[in-house]
Amino acid sequence: MSTPIASFVVLSGILFAIGTAGVLVRRNALVIFMSVELQLNAVNLALVAFSRMHNELDGQILAFFSMVVAAAEVVVGLAIIVSVYRRRRTADVDAVSELRW
Amino acid sequence: MIDLVWLVPALPLAGAVVTLFAGKRLGKTAGWLASALVACAFVVATGVLLDLVALPAEDRTRVVHLFDWIRVRIFAANVDLLVDPLSVTMILVVTGVGTLIHVYAIGYMEGDPRFGRFFAYLNLFVSFMLLLVLADNYLLLYVGWEGVGLCSYLLIGFWFERPAAASAAKKAFVTTRIGDTAMLVGIALIFVRFGTLDFGSVLHGAGPVLAPVIPEGTATAISLLLLAGAIGKSAQVPLHVWLPDAMEGPTPVSALIHAATMVTAGVYLVVRSHVLFEASEVALVVVLIVGLVTALYAGISAIGQDDIKRVLAYSTISQVGFMFFAAGMKAYAAAIFLLVTHAFYKALMFLSAGAVMHGLADEADLKRMGGLRRAMPVTATAFSIGALALAGVPPFAGFFSKDQIVAEASRSQGVGVWALALVAAFLSALYIARLVFLAFAGERRSATEPHESPPVMIVPLGLLAVGAALSGAALGLTVDGGLARFLEPVVGAVLGAPGGLSEAALAIVSVVLALSAVAFAWIVWGSGKVDWLALRAGPWNSLQRFMNRGMYVDDAYAAVVEKPGKAAGRGLRTFDERVLDGAVNGLGALVRSLAAAGRRIQTGVVRSYAAAFLLGAVAILVYVGVRL
Amino acid sequence: MTADQIVFWVFAPVSIVSALLMLAQRNAVHAALFLIVNLFTLAVFFLLLDAPFLFAVQIIVYAGAIMVLFLFVIMLLGVDREEQLVEHLKGQRPLAVLLGAGLVAEIVVAVRAGIGFAERVPEGFGVVNEGGNPKALSEVLFRDYFLPFEVTSVLLIVAAVSAMVLAQRRARPVTRAEREAGVGGGRP
Repeated sequence: MSTPIASFVVLSGILFAIGTAGVLVRRNALVIFMSVELQLNAVNLALVAFSRMHNELDGQILAFFSMVVAAAEVVVGLAIIVSVYRRRRTADVDAVSELRW
Repeated sequence: MIDLVWLVPALPLAGAVVTLFAGKRLGKTAGWLASALVACAFVVATGVLLDLVALPAEDRTRVVHLFDWIRVRIFAANVDLLVDPLSVTMILVVTGVGTLIHVYAIGYMEGDPRFGRFFAYLNLFVSFMLLLVLADNYLLLYVGWEGVGLCSYLLIGFWFERPAAASAAKKAFVTTRIGDTAMLVGIALIFVRFGTLDFGSVLHGAGPVLAPVIPEGTATAISLLLLAGAIGKSAQVPLHVWLPDAMEGPTPVSALIHAATMVTAGVYLVVRSHVLFEASEVALVVVLIVGLVTALYAGISAIGQDDIKRVLAYSTISQVGFMFFAAGMKAYAAAIFLLVTHAFYKALMFLSAGAVMHGLADEADLKRMGGLRRAMPVTATAFSIGALALAGVPPFAGFFSKDQIVAEASRSQGVGVWALALVAAFLSALYIARLVFLAFAGERRSATEPHESPPVMIVPLGLLAVGAALSGAALGLTVDGGLARFLEPVVGAVLGAPGGLSEAALAIVSVVLALSAVAFAWIVWGSGKVDWLALRAGPWNSLQRFMNRGMYVDDAYAAVVEKPGKAAGRGLRTFDERVLDGAVNGLGALVRSLAAAGRRIQTGVVRSYAAAFLLGAVAILVYVGVRL
Repeated sequence: MTADQIVFWVFAPVSIVSALLMLAQRNAVHAALFLIVNLFTLAVFFLLLDAPFLFAVQIIVYAGAIMVLFLFVIMLLGVDREEQLVEHLKGQRPLAVLLGAGLVAEIVVAVRAGIGFAERVPEGFGVVNEGGNPKALSEVLFRDYFLPFEVTSVLLIVAAVSAMVLAQRRARPVTRAEREAGVGGGRP
């Protein structure tokens, strides 16, 4: 492969940045969650790229584990969003701001 | 019997304890029990006297050791009682007059809800007073001194529901406290100089033996400090302000404490310590000046008083001033003589005044009395006897006692002092005659129908009247008569300085003075020919008020001491509230405002939180990146 | 241009654009769909990087399971909800742009300082993938990373249980009035 590894890493950074912006800007809880998934995937990409660079499989293993954990996290997070929605009839994160002064 | 002298203070003390705890159940018996105990003390005192005179004259000093009290490394004081002519004289006066007043009080205080406690306090007072005069060392004397002060406070404020009474009690205590503190310093100084407080060691015997032993400055200091205590307790100028107000207490209290006994404690102290006073050059002069000034001041103020008891209060101040005056002239026997006769006639007049008030439903204003001689003849007679004694009309007691002092003044002091003494004597006759005429002569001005008092009150009056009438003659017609010779072992022989007018001339001068004062008083206040009410309201108004307000001394104290003191207190309170509390509260308020401002960060909006920590994360990364 | 370069330079813009579009969609379903596109491009990248197992797993698990779960929930909560465009928090949008740009700058700087832009991968990855990528992976997984593997399995069980608990419909206690009216099941 002749593509420099740096390209993958920079791409991963860009995707991560987009995910961060998504977390900050969007109000829908589900879309925020999806942005977080985007961030996780960006990191996976970086892991695999470095794994290839070092001629080891550890990065791929880590990416694998990351996926598993992401799956578990999505399950629990969505369950929370659903129960909050049942209470408040809204998925807007700005609306659930009772824990305040 | 001398060994049993401890019974004299112990019997009233037992009475105080019993009536304090069982007073409610005893009811009226408490009064009789208390009186009986004081009477028993009087009997014991008489026995002691008889034993004492059985001894040869030079040997009439006995110390009865009761028990060891304090024994610290450098300081020892025991409970010892001193039996000598002076102390025996005092205990006879205290128990004798005390018994009569106790009996009188049974009638006077009838119906009072705290009847038992009153007699407990009275007995306690008598016990402390006896301890005071029987003490053989300064510490025990001070115990008695403080004890009578306490009982005075309790008894003045006996009707404490009345704010005037409570305030008067407080005033008495605080004012005498000033003197007591000085006296305590004086006692400490005695200990520093002598290493002991026993009378035997400090005073050893009569006469100026002390002069080479202690330096003159120390003697002056000690004497003046002790004198300060005496001034407070005996209500002399400038610490006299508590006595007129102390008339808020029940009349038996005024009679016993503020006429016959407690106010004379100062005189006793000076006479007992006369050796110390003589070792100083100025102390006796100060005593003399204090006495004379007080006698004149109180005499003038007494003329302007409208309350029957306040007239007697100022009269007491004036008469005790005479006693100090005598002591200042080294005429100690004369001072004690006046003390004894004054106890009789002043107690008599106070009790009669109480009978008058009792008969007029507690009316005490002279302007609303008058013509009482018809309604209460016995009381009127008794009071008049006392008044004549005070005025110095022979053959009543006051003539002998007061006359001696004036005579001494003519002999040993200059003409000016003698003249002032004569003026004071004139004034005393004047104010008492005014009192008698306003109350008993003329037409009735009172609203209520007056009536005579019950026998339980009248009989003591009669006995006191006899004493007032006869004690002068009985105790010594001349300056070196019976009492003076009796006291000689203690106070030294009377120095009869030659010169001056003869005895007879002096006597005539005194009598003329007294009678002219009575005549003047009759014309103005008794005959009805002079409209004294109009004169008071009109041209003589400022003089009347000047006399009535005690020459505004109380008001001066209020302005100089009380107002700044209260202002300082208020200032301190404001400081405490605003500055100290303000600082602490301000600190709390500061924290609270900081917290109120700080908590606005918790908006509850998750996205702001996310923004905040992502910002932080990026900043850290930048920092790390720059460092790399 | 070698094949991988072409593939990379075709799919990289796609992934970026799809990510941006995901960000910009007001409808949640549209956003989810764009994310799926992004995940596919990432799978392609895995393939480029000699990780065929991950390529397959990415598509099957991530795009196939996780995103489907996402879509289920979106449907549950209302498909046609449109998010409002008005931003209430002041400065949030500029801040987001700033942070994003900052992050990118960071990465670039870090990469430049670290591995440099010219580094090419060494050729010997085939030795590592001896016997096929899954076999090699499993050897490493069950030998060196056995404990994390077991722990992760526990994690999955916990997640499943918690999801059941959280999403339970909790019965509201029935009031007396309702009971008398004959309404309401569940607990009295």
